[in-house]
This record gives sequence, structure tokens and C-alpha cells, in this order.
Amino acid sequence: MAQRLKTRRQRYGHLWFVAPGLAFFLAVMIFPLVFAFGISTTNWSGLGNDLQFIGLANYAEILSYGPYYRAAFHNALIFLAIFLFQHTVGLYIAVLLNEKPRFMEFYRTVLFLPVILSLVATGFVWTLMLSPNIGLINPALQNMGLGFLASQWLSHPTSALGAVIVVTAWNSLGWAIIIYLAGLQGIPDELKQAAAMDGANTRQIFWRVTFPQLSPSFTALSVLTFIGTFRTFDVVYVLTGPLGAPNFGTDVLGTLIYRTAFGASSFSSAEIRFAFGVAMALFTMLIMAIACWGLLKVLRAREIET
Amino acid sequence: MTDTAVSPSPSRAASLRRPRPVRRAIGKTLRTAVLVIATAWVLIPLFFMVIASFKSVPEFFMNPFGLPAEWSFSNYTRAWEDAHLSLTLPNTIIVTSVSVAVSTFLSALVAYGLSRKEKKFAAGFYTLFVSGLLVPVHAIILPLFILLKAVGLFGTLFALIVPYIAMGLPLGVLVLTPLAASLPRDLIHAARMDGATEWQVFRRVVFPLLKPGLVSVSILNGVWMWNEFFIPLIIAFRPEVQTMPVGIVSFIGSYSTEWGLVFASVVVSTIPVVIAYLLMTRQFQSGLTSGAMKG
Repeated sequence: MAQRLKTRRQRYGHLWFVAPGLAFFLAVMIFPLVFAFGISTTNWSGLGNDLQFIGLANYAEILSYGPYYRAAFHNALIFLAIFLFQHTVGLYIAVLLNEKPRFMEFYRTVLFLPVILSLVATGFVWTLMLSPNIGLINPALQNMGLGFLASQWLSHPTSALGAVIVVTAWNSLGWAIIIYLAGLQGIPDELKQAAAMDGANTRQIFWRVTFPQLSPSFTALSVLTFIGTFRTFDVVYVLTGPLGAPNFGTDVLGTLIYRTAFGASSFSSAEIRFAFGVAMALFTMLIMAIACWGLLKVLRAREIET
Repeated sequence: MTDTAVSPSPSRAASLRRPRPVRRAIGKTLRTAVLVIATAWVLIPLFFMVIASFKSVPEFFMNPFGLPAEWSFSNYTRAWEDAHLSLTLPNTIIVTSVSVAVSTFLSALVAYGLSRKEKKFAAGFYTLFVSGLLVPVHAIILPLFILLKAVGLFGTLFALIVPYIAMGLPLGVLVLTPLAASLPRDLIHAARMDGATEWQVFRRVVFPLLKPGLVSVSILNGVWMWNEFFIPLIIAFRPEVQTMPVGIVSFIGSYSTEWGLVFASVVVSTIPVVIAYLLMTRQFQSGLTSGAMKG
């Protein structure tokens, strides 16, 4: 009996180490998530006690809700732009830094700096740069004789979305550089030397030897960029506000869900539909989880092949 | 373009050996130019933000991008009072340090608990914790709000600390569990042989050995907790319980033309992280990427 008690304690003793963390996790993440799903099956506005169970009607509505597609489209554009930027400029800078130029530590430290800054700080810094009256970009363009390019950057839908992309790129370039640099430093020199012995030139060595070796970095960065850009909220909130001004030109899923669920100043309270906002958030989570899983599957398969 | 392409079939080896100093010099200059431009792109906005924070309102509008004629700290003293930094700076420090410490410690406990792979429950719990990374804050924030109100934490700093602790766990478990699983089993067995309890094994053997991982996790979680905007935007209404990012955004409505004041607050909110980063650049870079690579 004593023996059995002891073995049982040994076998499950570890469970106690999981318990405190699990309690926090269940209370703060899982319980609210279940609660949120419950809310999403009602028509609750978020205020008052007036609510009815409406099943999955909110989810059905998302499928034909224009603003949702518009916001998702903007997220997709931001993702594509950042994805291309990181795998070209980010990779190129990582390759340059891997050659250990002079002041390498300085470049590396500075280029990663934006990653640790809050997106609120980033947003304000760029509001200053882009502001038509006090900004730096317009006067700089005028000084260079390119005054015709000066623009009310945040007031035109296209340039405003462009601005969101530039600011996101500024904030996330450091990720690309550090992740690729870590990948590059993990490649044994012998591989490149062997290729050089076989008569490969620099470009061939890069594309045939180095780049395939970088596929784990490519995978990690792509997934990170996907999650980051589809969750973007702070940058848009600070640069163009919760309405995704101008005229919803920069509206993303984050701001759409935020103002549907919680409202926004200059937004009539009649339009606040908390339950619908929550349904959009959960639906987005589901789609993103599936997309992430697919992305990982495709990219990991590619890793094995090479 | 190059002589190798034009000249009649020079052997590849020969072309590799042939010195091309001019071309090499141009290449080197171009590479340096790329690095300098990228660095300038990062630094110039930050530089102008700092400059702007030392300018008075009239000077800012007359001369937005020159050095201030007179370096004035009035924006900083006013930010301290008007933007409530005197409240939100200590709040941010308390919330971040308590949340990081508790969350990292709990992650280490969980990681040790799950590190024995042969246990059936381990894989399931690991997946559960890590899938927490996907949970959208937008969806859980209002139920969380109701919950915090019900247990009486609303209106205190714990309304931020408790969620942060839980939300730090997925990353903590993700980074620490493989590390705990890779610790030498013999060491743990030896400690048990000597009669150490599970708790003593954890405290004396496992916890110290997890140290590099603990540093990574603390940085990984500390940076987002310090910078978090959305959760306090919903949960913390008063400056008394707000952290800096949301405190700055919410006071701007009434001072929207006083850019100097805004930038002084942003500089104050940013400096502690920047100093920590400059002191521990390597740890920040490897810590932040370790989470990303594992995900």
C-alpha cells in the first residue's frame, strides 16, 4: 500500500508543478474564450441586459459582411508588402552583416532597435515625419526639388495604407535581419568552400548553397510576419485612428473588430455590436490558425526537400 | 557587362583569380551605402522625435526640423504632471516587473512539470499552453473585464498584472519546456537519490540550470508587457492604473497640438527599454528570436 502510494506520488508528482500556471491560464485565457464564444451566439450590444440567443447567425453574417472583406484585404496587402520587404531587403542586409563589415555591431544594434519600441511610440514618431504641416518628409522633398511628390500622406487612402506599410516595415525590419543573420551564422563554412572549390561563383553559392540552408529562417519569419500583420492594430490606431481613416482606407481587422465591439468616438453607439465583434475576432482566430497550420506545413515540406 | 562575359572563354578559375580592384571597391561602397541608408532610415525619425521633445510650441511650428535654439526641459516637466507620467511610469515599472517575475517563474514550474516526455499528460498540456499564442485578445478582453470586476481586481494594477501573467505563459512554456527536457537526467536522478523532494530538485537543480532560458523569456515577455497598448486601453481607464503607452494616447485628445509634450512623453516611455537593450543587446536579440524561431 505504502509502496503504491509512493509510486503514484512519483508518477503524478510533476502535475503539481503545472497546477499554478494552469490555474492562471484557464482563468484568464480559456474561460474567457468559452465565455466569448457564448456571447458570440447572441445579439448582445455590450450594454444593458437586452440579449437573445441567435445561434451562429453572427458567423453567417460575417461571410456577407463587406467591411470584413475590405479589412482583411488591407491586412493581406500589408502582409504581402512586408513579406516581400523582409525576404529581400531584410535578407540582403543580413547577408551584408554576415560578411562582418566595419561597425557591424553598430549597424546590428541600431537596425534591431525599432523591434523593442512600442508601436505607440513608432506611430507617433511617424506621425511627426508624415504630417503635412510639421512633418519632415514634405519639406525634405521640396528641398530636393521633388515638391510635386509632397502629399497629405495620411489623408489619401492609397498613401495612408502605404504609410501604414512603411511604418510596419520600419518596426519589423530588425526581426528579418536578426532571424536571417542567425540562420546565416549557422551555415558551416565548409559547405561554401566546397562549392567554391567546385567552381561556383558567389551568386551560385548564395542561391544553391546558402539560401536553401536558410529555409528554417524563411519559415519562422514568414509565419511571424503573417501573424503580426493580420493582428496589426496599434500602428493603425495611432496613425489613422480607430476608423481606419481616410474613408476606411486603412481599416484592418484589428480596428474593425475594435470599433464594432467597443465603439469609437465619432461613432454612434447604435453601431456598437459587441457580440458581432467577438464573433469576428473568433472567426479570424480560426481562419488564422488554419492558415498558419497550412503555411507551416507547406514551408516545412519545402525545408525537407532542400 | 564584365570582362569575363565578353572575353573569349577565359577559364572560370582564371576569372576568379583575376584581381578587379575597381569593381570590388564599387561593390564595397554600394554595400556600405545600403547599410548606412538603412541605419539612417531607423535613426532619423528617432533623432527628430528627441529634438522635437526639447522645443516649445511656437519654436516647433516655426522650425520643426532644426536643432532647438534653446534646449528646454519644460515639455518633460509638464509631461510628468499633465500627461500623468508621474503615475504611469511607476505603474508600468510595477506591472512589468511583477508580471515578468511571476510569469517566468510559473513558466519554469510548468516546463519542469511537462519535461518528462513519457508522461501522457505532458504533450496535451504543452499543446494547450502553446495554443494560447493564437487566442485573440479582442475576443477575450470583455469576458476578462467582467471576470476582473467580479473578483474585485478592477481598478487596481492587478487588473493588468493577472492577465499579463497568464498571457506570458504560452511563450514561457514554449521556450522553457524543450530546455527543461534537455537537462541531464542523471543530475535530477542523483538529487532524488540523495533524498531531495521534487520541490528541492526544482529549486536547487532545475531552476538554476534553466537560467539562459529564463533570461530569454523575461525579455520576450517584458518587452511586450512594457509596450502593451490594447489591454490597458480597454481595462485601465484612469491614469492611476494606466501604463505609459495608453496613458500617452489618452491624454493626447486634449493636447493634440502640443507635439513637444507628446514626444517628451514618448521619449520617457521608451528610454528605459532602450537603455536595457543597449546594456544587453545580445540577450535581447537572441532572446527575442528564440521565441520566434521555436514558434
